[in-house]
Amino acid sequence: MSLCFETARRSLALAAVLLGLALLRPVPAAAHAVVVSSEPVAGAALATPPARVTIRFNSRLDHERSRLLLIGPDGAQTPLAIAGDSDPVVLAAPLSAPPGPGAWRLRWQVLAVDGHITRGDIPFSIQAP
Amino acid sequence: MEQLLDLYGFASVVLHAAELVARTVLLGSVVFWVLLAVPLARLMPPGDADRLHAIARRTVLASGIASLAATFLLGLLSFVALEATLDIGARALLGADFILLTGLDLLAMLVLLALALPRGRPAPNRRWGLLGLAALVLLAVTFGSHAIARTEGRAMLLASTALHQAGAAFWLGGLPCLLAALRLTPPSARIIGQRYSLLAAIGVGLILLGSAGFWFGFIGSAGAVYGTAYGSMAASKLIMLVLLLVLGAMNYRLLHRIAPTPGGTLRLRRFIEAEMSIGIAVLAVAASLTSVPPAADLPDDRVTWQEITERFTPEWPRLTSPDHADLAIPALQAQLDAEWQQRQAAQRPQAFTPGEGLLPPRNATDIAWSEYNHHWAGIMVLLVGLAALLDATGRVPLARHWPLVFLGLAAFLLIRSDPEAWPLGDIGLLDSLRDPEVVQHKIASLLVVGFAVSEWSVRLGLLRGRVRFVFPLAMLAGGVLLLAHTHAISNIKEAQLIELSHLPLALLAVVAGCARWTELRGPPELARIGRWLWPACLIGIGLLLLLYREA
Repeated sequence: MSLCFETARRSLALAAVLLGLALLRPVPAAAHAVVVSSEPVAGAALATPPARVTIRFNSRLDHERSRLLLIGPDGAQTPLAIAGDSDPVVLAAPLSAPPGPGAWRLRWQVLAVDGHITRGDIPFSIQAP
Repeated sequence: MEQLLDLYGFASVVLHAAELVARTVLLGSVVFWVLLAVPLARLMPPGDADRLHAIARRTVLASGIASLAATFLLGLLSFVALEATLDIGARALLGADFILLTGLDLLAMLVLLALALPRGRPAPNRRWGLLGLAALVLLAVTFGSHAIARTEGRAMLLASTALHQAGAAFWLGGLPCLLAALRLTPPSARIIGQRYSLLAAIGVGLILLGSAGFWFGFIGSAGAVYGTAYGSMAASKLIMLVLLLVLGAMNYRLLHRIAPTPGGTLRLRRFIEAEMSIGIAVLAVAASLTSVPPAADLPDDRVTWQEITERFTPEWPRLTSPDHADLAIPALQAQLDAEWQQRQAAQRPQAFTPGEGLLPPRNATDIAWSEYNHHWAGIMVLLVGLAALLDATGRVPLARHWPLVFLGLAAFLLIRSDPEAWPLGDIGLLDSLRDPEVVQHKIASLLVVGFAVSEWSVRLGLLRGRVRFVFPLAMLAGGVLLLAHTHAISNIKEAQLIELSHLPLALLAVVAGCARWTELRGPPELARIGRWLWPACLIGIGLLLLLYREA
């Protein structure tokens, strides 16, 4: 009987581990904070560079613990200073130096006040004059 | 660190499920102890009263420790993920609201555990302390929930969250104590059962009140129920809630008529075990819901009713395999993946949990390959269900070998699941094992072999004892984990349609697991029902797999 019990115990442990492993496949999952709108909008081709970027979310954010990066055509990353006095659901930052022509990417990561971390990219391009 | 971030989304859902289960039992067992065990102690023999007190205290301690561990790990996971991705230092992170609330939650649980530690029966002050600390835990959890991040209707949603979780604690959280208490003498078990019925009824009322708030705040329309991941998971929760209510109603009847014999509570205990299993599945869905945005926030790109009926209109199964040579070759696929990701990113901003990837692009042949796999797997599961039904009649001795069909399924999975790798593809076995997904598929095949062999051995009488429970527990675990991980995704229609087909599979797996468990554990009159019910569920799973389509 004890052998049976031991076998059962091991089988159960194995089953639990394996079923857990089976779930590790890279299934994309959404999260709480999703983008409602942004300025510039995703995929925008702008004639003039924006002076400020703004992203509106569906959740209230912890601005101090959120992040905005501007990724240039050469892949260089510039952290942006997030405005602390903005709307609780808005992440906004002024662009101190106007981005030049090329494909840019606004990479955001937010901590919603319920503790969920979400991240994403907003690509846009600046047309050559 | 990158590996940790890769696991963040999945690990947070699993830890959240564990935390929800442990905390629900913790709060429920505190309520059971203070509002049931203590007042009823004077109505029962001293031996029963002592045992009831010990049951409640032990459950509070065990669930408190489990809850403490799960809450700490969940908080730690988020803390580490933030620290890895932000450059503001650990000290600045400690001021985050969720860290403060996690700290408050942990502190309340620690003090609660300290109050529960003394073996003596709790005096009035200690009882008030236990209830107050349980309320503080509930408060901390409520203020760290989805509701607090809302911009509109926050007060209503906070109240709904608190009511919903308190209701789950009153009803489901008290079940482990009740199950253990039913082993007391029948007269004591009867009065405990009657008092518990009252607590459970209050719990159901609170859950329904909370659900009404969630409907208005998070869902809002019928279209959101089937059109979004949040809505369809909430619907699954509702279906299981109805199952629980049916079981609860049967329990209610039995609790008031416990036979004065030692075996008088056997049927009731089976129902409560089924209730606990479904309760865990419900909490797994609740945990999964925390990882998706509320349906009300996703007004665009919802799946329409027409798309659902179109997708789920039965078609003849695909029983002929597409040619392996037609499948996307890895290099081309990698290029397509990159292009597809660019295209997706350009079309609209999507939100992801750290480490998460995008859905891979697929071509028509890939879809045909996948449908073919699902359909043949469906045929095999259908065969298992039919053979198990024949076995249940007791008239077809050959049918008891039905677990062997699972060996065929395992071989099928092993060969077909990764067409680019051994044995069908050019990539050798050892090389292919570098890909975690291939490893998972191979392990899943071995897992099926394990189930098949263990269940077959049980059928032949070669193995006895608790090994019998491997099969039902595996079905339950599979169903619960399928429910816990089915989160689709920033409203990508395709994923939602696939998810809609997987939710019923998970529900049937949970019911099948409960039915097989009951068949094994008795009493005979319930075992007879269980014997027919779980093969019927397997037939249902087989049919759903046969109808499965990806386009």
